[in-house]
Order: sequence, then C-alpha cells, then structure tokens
Amino acid sequence: MKKKVLYIEDNEQNLYLIQFILEKNGYEFSSATDGREGIELAVRSKPDLILLDIQLPRMDGYTVARHLRAHPDLAQVPIVAVTSYAMAGDRDKALASGCSGYIEKPINPDTFIQQMEAHLGTPA
Amino acid sequence: MSGAVNHHKAYIPFLRPAPVFHPFRCLSFLLLLLITLPDLAHAVSRNVSVGIYENAPKVFTSTTGKPAGIFVEIIENIAKAEGWNLRYVPGTWAEGLDRLSRGEIDLMPDVAYTTERDRIYAFHKIPVLSVWSQVYARKGSGIQSLLDLNGKRIAALENTIQLETFTRLTNSFGLKFTLIPVPNYQTEFQMVADNRADAGLTNRLYGLMYARKYGLEDTPVMFDPAPFFFAAPKEKGDLLAVIDRHLAEMKKDPRSAYYAAMKRWTSDEVEFKLPAWLQVSALVLGSVLVMSVVGGFVLKHQVNARTAELALMNREMERRIDERTLTLKETNEKLRAALEDLEDAKERAEQADRLKSAFLATMSHELRTPLNSIIGFTGILQQGLGGPVNEEQKKQLAMVRKSSDHLLALISDVLDISKIEAGQLRVESETFHLAESIRKVEQAVRPLAEKKGLELYLDLSGDVGPVTGDARRVEQILFNLLSNSIKFTEQGSVTVRSRRDGDFLVTCVADTGIGIKEADLDRLFQPFQQIDTGLNRKYEGTGLGLSICKKLVELMGGTIRVESAPGRGTSFTFTLPVRPPGADGVAA
Repeated sequence: MKKKVLYIEDNEQNLYLIQFILEKNGYEFSSATDGREGIELAVRSKPDLILLDIQLPRMDGYTVARHLRAHPDLAQVPIVAVTSYAMAGDRDKALASGCSGYIEKPINPDTFIQQMEAHLGTPA
Repeated sequence: MSGAVNHHKAYIPFLRPAPVFHPFRCLSFLLLLLITLPDLAHAVSRNVSVGIYENAPKVFTSTTGKPAGIFVEIIENIAKAEGWNLRYVPGTWAEGLDRLSRGEIDLMPDVAYTTERDRIYAFHKIPVLSVWSQVYARKGSGIQSLLDLNGKRIAALENTIQLETFTRLTNSFGLKFTLIPVPNYQTEFQMVADNRADAGLTNRLYGLMYARKYGLEDTPVMFDPAPFFFAAPKEKGDLLAVIDRHLAEMKKDPRSAYYAAMKRWTSDEVEFKLPAWLQVSALVLGSVLVMSVVGGFVLKHQVNARTAELALMNREMERRIDERTLTLKETNEKLRAALEDLEDAKERAEQADRLKSAFLATMSHELRTPLNSIIGFTGILQQGLGGPVNEEQKKQLAMVRKSSDHLLALISDVLDISKIEAGQLRVESETFHLAESIRKVEQAVRPLAEKKGLELYLDLSGDVGPVTGDARRVEQILFNLLSNSIKFTEQGSVTVRSRRDGDFLVTCVADTGIGIKEADLDRLFQPFQQIDTGLNRKYEGTGLGLSICKKLVELMGGTIRVESAPGRGTSFTFTLPVRPPGADGVAA
C-alpha cells in the first residue's frame, strides 16, 4: 500500500517539485498551503509522514508542529522540517517544536527521498 | 724652567685659591728642592717643548710662576717615566696654537678635537678629559636661559670650539650678541666682573674654581661637552703614541697619577690627601694641626659653594618639572578627546557591522528559495522523471546543475561568514568518531581526485577514537580542506593523516600541489582574501572557506595552521580537543 505524505508549504513551485518527486517515487501525496489547513488535513487523512515548511503565513511551522504533536492521533507521525531558515538555532528550534528531522532548502533531488525515508518507520 | 724640577709640587698653592696657604709655600719649596735632586742624574733625555696658557685648572701658571694643572701633571708624569726634558713655552691660547702649527713647540695641551684641526695637527686617541662649557655672569644677572643672552656682550676666547659651538647655538635660535675677544679666562672673568662684558664663556672646571672669586655665578646655560687632548705638529706624532700608551695605563689604575690629578683639580670636595713625603715632613714639622684646621675651613667653604650651586640646580629642575607637568596635562586632555572620538567611530563601525550581517543573513535565505526550484527541477529532469532526455540535453542540464551547486556553495559560505561576524555561529557538542567522518568525506571527494588522476591516501592512527564536537562542521572543514587540496594539485597525491597527541586529535591534509608563497600564508585565513594566483579563473572559489574553517576549529577549541612553499605542496593541520573546552559554543 502506498505511503501517504502530507506537505504543508505555501510556495507553489516547491509544492509542485516535491509532489512530482514523491509521486514518481510511488508515494500518495497531499498538501496544504497554510498551517490551519494543514493540521485539519493531517487529522483527517492521518499521513505516514508530514513535510513541514517553517516560513508559513499566519502560523509559522514551529507552531504548526506543536499543534500536530499535541493531537493524540498525530503524536507518533514523523514530521520533517523542510526550510531555508538557516540561522543559528533554527535546527534546534525545529527539533524542540516536535519535528523528527530537518532538511535544508534547497533540497538535493538526488538524495531527498533517502533523507526523507530515514524518518519513515522511525516514529518520534 | 725645567720640567724635571717640578713633577709633583706646583699644584700645592693652587689647591687652595685663598692666601691661607702661604705658610705651606715655603715648606713645599724646601721639599721640592730636596726630592728633585736625583732627577738631575738623567743624562740622556729628549727635549720636549710644551705650550702653556691660562685655563685653570686644566693648564695655567701658578702664583709661583710654575706651570700647573691637570695637563701639566699628566705630561710631567709621562715625562718622568720616559726621561723627557720638558720645556714650557707660555703664551695665550692663540699664540700656543700658532707655535704648534709652525712646529716651534712639540705639544699643546687642552686642544679639543675637530676635523679642521685634525688637518693641521696630530692628536692622540685617548682623551685626557671631557669638559662642559658654561656661561658665567655677574651674580643676580638674571640670565636663566640661552634666550636671555640676546643682545648681550659676551666675552670669550677666540678660535675655540667653545666659541664656535656657542655661535652656532645662538644662531640657531636667531640670537645676536656682541663678541668681546679675550686672551685668557682671567681677563674674561675680570671684564664680566667690571661690567665690561655681560657674560663669559668658559669651561666648567675653570668656572667652578674662579667664579666666586670674581663675584660671578654660573648660569643654567651649559653646552657641548668636549673631549680634550694634547696636540702635536703633524711630524711629531711619535710623542702622541707614547702619551696614549701612558694614558691607557694610567686610566686602568685608580691610584695612578691621572686619577690623582683629576681628583685634585675637578673634585667638588677638596681633598687633603698629600703625597707621603709631604705628610711625613709635615708631621716632622708638627703642622698637621694647622693643616687640618685650614682644611676644615676650606672644605666648609667649598661645601657651602657646592650646596648653593645644588640649590640653584634644584630650583631650575623644579621649574622644568612644572613646565613639563603643564605640557603633560594638555597632552592628556587632547588624548582624552581623541579617545572619545575613537569610541564614537567604533560604535558607528560596529553598528554598520551588525547591519551588514543581518543583511547578509536575509539575502542568503532569500537566495535559497529560488535555488530550490532550479536545483530541484534540474535534478528531476536529469533523473528522467519528467520523460526521456537526449544526450545533448543531459549535457546542458549537467551544466545548469553544476552552476547552481556552485551558487549554493557561495551562498552557504556567505551565510556562514555573516553568522560568524554576527556572533551567531554555533557548534554542536556531541560525541562522534573522527575516523568515521574522515572516511565519509574521503568517499565524497574520491570521485574528484580520481577524475584528476590523483592518489588519495588515508593514514589514520589506531588511537583516533571518539571526539566531542560538531560532526557536521568537522566534515565541512575536512571537505573544504580536501577539495582545496584536490583543486590545487595537478599530479601526485593528497593524504589525510590523523593521530592523537595528548588531549588533542591532530589531523593533517597534505598535497603535492602548486603550494603557496610565504607572503600569502598570513592572508590565507582572512575572509574575502583570495590569493592572487593568476589562476583565479581556473581555481574558482569564494575565498571564504579557510576563514570559515579557522573559525569553526577555534569554536571547537582547536587550532589550524598551514605549511607550504611554492611547488612543494601544502599541508593544513588542525587539532580538535578530545573533550570540549566548555559547554558554551557561541562564537565571540
């Protein structure tokens, strides 16, 4: 059965890029363009992994991660931050908010799947 | 007057300027006669004529008509040892020099050396003495400095270095004075005392001895300490060698006639240590008591004079200290103002620095977003996920990919530097295996080395175990050093060595590449300092990598250094502590 990945991201090109890579690699892809929508979709669809942008409108990725973790159904779902935030402490902040991993933008298309799969099946 | 007849005695009356000593005069003459008799036995001896002029206490004629003074005592001592017959030719200073230049006398004492004189006369090498020149004036003249001499009548001996120096000195201050030439210092002091001159130039020795007698005082104007010699006509140079030999010997022995003469004529305290023969005779004649009474009197007199002189000097020093203190205060004020300006400038510079760092961080972040699309979609196309790609398209996509990877590397470096400068670069403190990191980076760069036909060696000692630090950053350092080495090496090899040294793991990346000039080594670790290899097109890069490596190593408590020579390869060595230096890893 296809694994489900939810990507919460407001940038269209980024969404399309990840969707393309994941679908070509046999994943079931869904997406949301802001935090609130993302959380609702996650609760509804119970994905196997959530990719999360940090620089989101209205509610930032850290807050989204905390909400996701707070939901009993989602507490065990791996959340991987995908962000171009690269200042001191960004990685720590993401992990402290409940993310299981961190992938820096720009992504490396050759290794992205491997990086993401490292978090699949290893619940946080 | 035969020199052989008065070796040690003529000084006695002059030791004491006052007539108090007359009782000794008869005594001394009596003894003089006695002890000089044996000297007549010298049958074969050389005649040496010596010029005499009046410049006590260096050289002068005593009140008994005998030559005396420091130069006389010294030459008589030498004459005695050498068996010379001294013949004194009295005259003025100028006459003495004239006679010397015509060869009428063999020696002229008390001649200061100048190159001009050296062309006319011969000099020996060891100076007899060094004396300061000084300006003397009537008591209460108010002359306190050179400037006070402007427009004054100055009495001085002509044709002396003293006068030459003084003229030069006053000229340099733009001062004018009326010169009153005098034949000797006695006349000079008399003229100053009689108000026919306002001040006189003399040497300090003469002044000390006679100023008070003429009611004069020394002014604070002192100048030109000059060495004085015997001078001889050019063809009589052999005498001078003998004088030098004796002077050298005498100067070695503190009990020699030289020191005795110097002490007698220049000491501020007047000593009453008389030659043994006189002491014995005096004892016999029972005059010790008289002598000591008189001596005490003179001593007291001299001490008083010296005390007054010291008090004067003290006042002068105090005045100078006050002046200097004032100057120092002003300088301090200026310094403080300058420091405040500097503080402001520093504040502005730091402000600008912070803005720059924030700007760089934002820019780096904003640049990453479009790169995500460029790199991502290029990758998709290269992988054939978007459909088949022909060979030409593959080649072109590879170029897009390579360029965007390079652009990403540049942005990452700029971001790292901006983090360092903003003090925001942090390193993790985790335990990891350095050997594993080295192998991992080696795997990553091996294709680059193989592509250039370079050997890549690892030489890891068994004691390279776990280390505490930031594995990702250590790998960044290793990757940077290794790719640098591969980039700058055209043939040969790149070797990574690592071993433990005490509390540190020492890792070295050495290559057989083009090397670096010594002059460039210092700049190597500074940001934005890409060394001009003339090959920049070939070896592109940001010039930031090494400064980042240095900062990272230091943040982890280690050091990095480089050794290189053009054509002899380069080796970078960095150390990492086995245990971290402190819990806090925030950049300074």
